[in-house]
Amino acid sequence: MLKYLLKRFFWMIPLVIGISLISFFIMHLAPGDITTSEASFNPKASEESRQKLRELYSLDKPVIVQYGLWVKRMATLDFGTSFASHQRPVFWQTKDKDGNITLGMIQEALPITLLINVLSLVLIIGVALPLGVISALKQNQLTDRGITLFVFIGFAIPGFWLALMLMYWTGVQHSWLPISGLESMGHEHLPWFSRLIDTLKHLALPVFISGLTGLAGISLFVRNGMLEVLHQDYITTARAKGLNENRVVYGHALRNALLPLITIFGLSIPGLIGGSVIAESIFAIPGMGKLFYDAVLMRDFPVIMGILTIGAVLTLIGNLLADLAYAWADPRVRRGVMQ
Amino acid sequence: MKKVLRNPLALIGFLIIAGILFLALIAPFIAPYDPDAINVKAILLSPSAQHLMGTDGLGRDVFTRMLYGSRISLMVGFVAVGIATAIGIVLGAIAGFYRGWVDTVIMRVVDVMLSIPTFFLILAVIAFLTPSIWNIMIVIGLTSWMGVTRLVRAEFLSLRNREFVLAAQALGAKDSRLIFTHLLPNSLTPIIVSSILGIASAVLVESGLSFLGLGVQAPQASWGNILTDGKEYIQFAWWLSLFPGLAILITVLGYNLLGDGLRDAYNPRTSQR
Repeated sequence: MLKYLLKRFFWMIPLVIGISLISFFIMHLAPGDITTSEASFNPKASEESRQKLRELYSLDKPVIVQYGLWVKRMATLDFGTSFASHQRPVFWQTKDKDGNITLGMIQEALPITLLINVLSLVLIIGVALPLGVISALKQNQLTDRGITLFVFIGFAIPGFWLALMLMYWTGVQHSWLPISGLESMGHEHLPWFSRLIDTLKHLALPVFISGLTGLAGISLFVRNGMLEVLHQDYITTARAKGLNENRVVYGHALRNALLPLITIFGLSIPGLIGGSVIAESIFAIPGMGKLFYDAVLMRDFPVIMGILTIGAVLTLIGNLLADLAYAWADPRVRRGVMQ
Repeated sequence: MKKVLRNPLALIGFLIIAGILFLALIAPFIAPYDPDAINVKAILLSPSAQHLMGTDGLGRDVFTRMLYGSRISLMVGFVAVGIATAIGIVLGAIAGFYRGWVDTVIMRVVDVMLSIPTFFLILAVIAFLTPSIWNIMIVIGLTSWMGVTRLVRAEFLSLRNREFVLAAQALGAKDSRLIFTHLLPNSLTPIIVSSILGIASAVLVESGLSFLGLGVQAPQASWGNILTDGKEYIQFAWWLSLFPGLAILITVLGYNLLGDGLRDAYNPRTSQR
């Protein structure tokens, strides 16, 4: 296991280098140099902040040197300060000479997005798993057809449109759910339990919207996985030796059908993080997605580069965890039989 | 193709796409108004015989703008996926045919691209360039070739040592002949399936970007930016949100049904079921 872990870990190094190259390349996509294009887009950009930008990315030096310096700063997690938000640190808090702490922008936004994504994953597992299993067991019956229809619509529905419709229906027409932000007015004066309910109410729609595509995908995946496994010889054997159907389905089939799901979850992380842009900007939730969207609108380059890099690194960590979980769950992988 | 159209879901998908293609082609002839004509006397009218889908905040006819929006949606879908598929075929073919270090390098690049959240990547590029329909198509294309690459590579790897390929090679066929007359034609079905499904997601991404104001720019109509207006007026003009959303839903559904039907028709394992 240790050998596998080390191998898997070293395998990440070229990926990190690749990510840094791509991020760096994107920064140089701008026609001319980013200080000039920034000036043309962002009215807030003063000569001073342009100078800062030049210093931040050492734009006066050759490209190779710029890249080296940039990587060096990334390695120490120094993403600079934001242009748009009064020089706030992009990633982590800083202390000034009076001991006042300024929180980092990503530091504040990341936990919110992680919370939404974890809740969406819980929703996906809680709903998609039973749907997929039922669909497979009732293959080609009415229930299966109904679930398949739901899956197709789930794939095709634009998340932002559904968000708008739900916002209108549950928030504007019926006032069942709040339509923006994370907390109601006066949130901090409520007892902890009401505070929790308040936050959960605010999170209900965003979590549903960001989980919907995944929900459809995983249902279909579980269904097909179950169908595949149910046709295997060992299932026939289990039935032939007289095990009851429940043991066969849940004890033998489901466990094996679920294995690949671990990888799928790993692979879905970038989609979830990226998808947070739409849900968060519609519902005005101050997470990574909204931070990124605002940064794009303001051409706040340090924030854009910071989130791009952190998002990619998070994906790598997620994939690593998924692979480790797979190795833990499937002895064939950790003994190197597969791959 | 006959086999595909015998599948009822695929047939529905095909009809939807054909219908939209037809409407997009004849848009200038059937559109009752000029898509950009502002009419201050007809602001936010609800659907009626004069305005089938009502009018927007500037008095423009929503039905007309929807028709023109379908052109954008089709164009973005086809061009973006065309770019992605072209890159994917070239890289996947090279990786799968020559294997070795070229394969390793290409697949690592794929891994890197897959580990950057795509929507972030697209938005970042748009932030450094300017949003326009051409940039959107190119950016979506350049960020969605990884799936095709993997697919083509896998097909090539599995076909490379089949007897008919080895026979052709033994007869002295050049690499290019092996690739273009033996390997590529035999990998075509999965490539077409993944392209059709790719168009579906490109349509979703474009509408999302336009909705966020970072895609197709006003006054050019796209389903996504009609929805941006819809959001603005959601309390008094439901028609501005309903129709573009439904149009996107139906289009994407159409591509998905067609793609899935095609896959089922050519995959003996699933078509038996």
